[in-house]
Amino acid sequence: MTNRENDILEVKNVSKVFDVDTENEKEVLRDVNLKVGRNEFLCLLGPSGCGKTTLLRCIAGFEDYEGSVAVNGVVRREPGTDRIMVFQDFNQLFPWKTVEKNIQYPLKLQGIRDKAVLKQRTEEVLEKVKLSGQEKYYPYQLSGGMKQRVAIAKALALKPEIILMDEPFAALDAMTRNELQGELLRISETENCTIIFITHNIQEAIVLGTRIIVLAQGGRIVVDEKNKIQRPVTPASEGYGATWERLHSALYQ
Amino acid sequence: MDEKKKRIHAIAARIIFLVVVLLIWELVAKSGVMGDKSELIFPSLEAIADAFVQNFIQGFAGTSLWVYIGNSMRLLLEGLLIGIVLAFLLSGLSMVSRTFYEICNLVISVCDLLPGVALLPVVIIIFGVKPGVITFLVVHAVLWPMARNVLDGFFAVPRIYVEAGRNIGLKRVSLLYGVYFPASISYIVSGLKVGWARAWRGLISAEMIFGVASCPGIGLFINQMRTNMNNAEMYATLVVIIMIGLIVQYGVISPIEKSTVKKWGMSR
Repeated sequence: MTNRENDILEVKNVSKVFDVDTENEKEVLRDVNLKVGRNEFLCLLGPSGCGKTTLLRCIAGFEDYEGSVAVNGVVRREPGTDRIMVFQDFNQLFPWKTVEKNIQYPLKLQGIRDKAVLKQRTEEVLEKVKLSGQEKYYPYQLSGGMKQRVAIAKALALKPEIILMDEPFAALDAMTRNELQGELLRISETENCTIIFITHNIQEAIVLGTRIIVLAQGGRIVVDEKNKIQRPVTPASEGYGATWERLHSALYQ
Repeated sequence: MDEKKKRIHAIAARIIFLVVVLLIWELVAKSGVMGDKSELIFPSLEAIADAFVQNFIQGFAGTSLWVYIGNSMRLLLEGLLIGIVLAFLLSGLSMVSRTFYEICNLVISVCDLLPGVALLPVVIIIFGVKPGVITFLVVHAVLWPMARNVLDGFFAVPRIYVEAGRNIGLKRVSLLYGVYFPASISYIVSGLKVGWARAWRGLISAEMIFGVASCPGIGLFINQMRTNMNNAEMYATLVVIIMIGLIVQYGVISPIEKSTVKKWGMSR
């Protein structure tokens, strides 16, 4: 029973069909069952079209689906601040708000009115993503990597139960991507947060994840394993090659 | 530096053009090529300038042009405000209810094509000759293009903003206010431009067709000048109408654009 208390998220028999009753009808997820433990960094790997994004969107509450998603044992169907999504698209920040206001707006909606608290919380999270002093910029003045940092900061400020990340670094150049991976890893190790991270990059999954799942068509789980490689992971780490091979063959089977 | 040069070029070109047009006007006026009617068709610039000043000092029948302008602007503002509020109401409700949207869409399509002046006879029969009729026409002129633009804007809001909004707890009205409204600001501003231009035209035409004695406006003034063959005054009033248009463009609409779409990087 102790194990059950440690689960923060339970996905039960989730199925999703797009374009029901049309010629384009497509079953994307079939009876997906998944439990995620508290403070786990779960990486979902899978080929394009396997339903990983749809699964994440169901968890976030953006889609209608069959089955149930429960956070801390409570069923959630609608989006909520307990599950904050970080999208792949750089344009997820509101362009009409500055960096600071983008971070503070959700907090204000949560009922936090005290200016000092808002300011302090903003500085804290911006420091975590290494964007201190950039409060007053509008999103269009930031680079793609900076926008993604702000999106992560915005999520952290809300102290959600789970952060959902849908390939947030996929559209970044390799250097920025490595840098952001490192920072996310550091954040995930120091913060109390559970992260579900979608990627199709095996290296990314091994570097970041404490647990790695490989999905096949229909959201079928083909690999589900703890990542036992000593952190921080580099390609020279013991077991990296074997893990990479295993995931690679599962991914391309 | 290049930017500055372009700017100087633009200003210089406009000034030179204006001066040339005015020069030609004055030459035609002075030469009397139009024969007997020359003075009526092309009053000299001095006469127009004098009439411009006299319009404000003496006005017509003891009432200064200021009073006429004040009346017009009051009706215009009333109509604009009502029209804009109604436009937001219609578009907002359309986002909430699909049925309402379908009906609203039809009404907008039909009414948008209906010139306000064509409605005038009907409106006068129903309401009588009152200032309210002009307000009604202004509302009609603003409401439909504005509602159309706001709706288009709402539908063009990227899904990601809506989802990001729902994710942080926005729903229905708060989502409308917190995401749809600011995200479609460029559409709203262009709706405002079209709405204002139509309202301004509608107002002047309505006032020219029938003047409300209790609330005489610029359109009525220009018509009275025509009736009395005060042609220089007529031209001077046209200048006033143009000036009011420019003041609204540069004093109201441009600042709105600068503090929203331009500031947020949503347009160049």
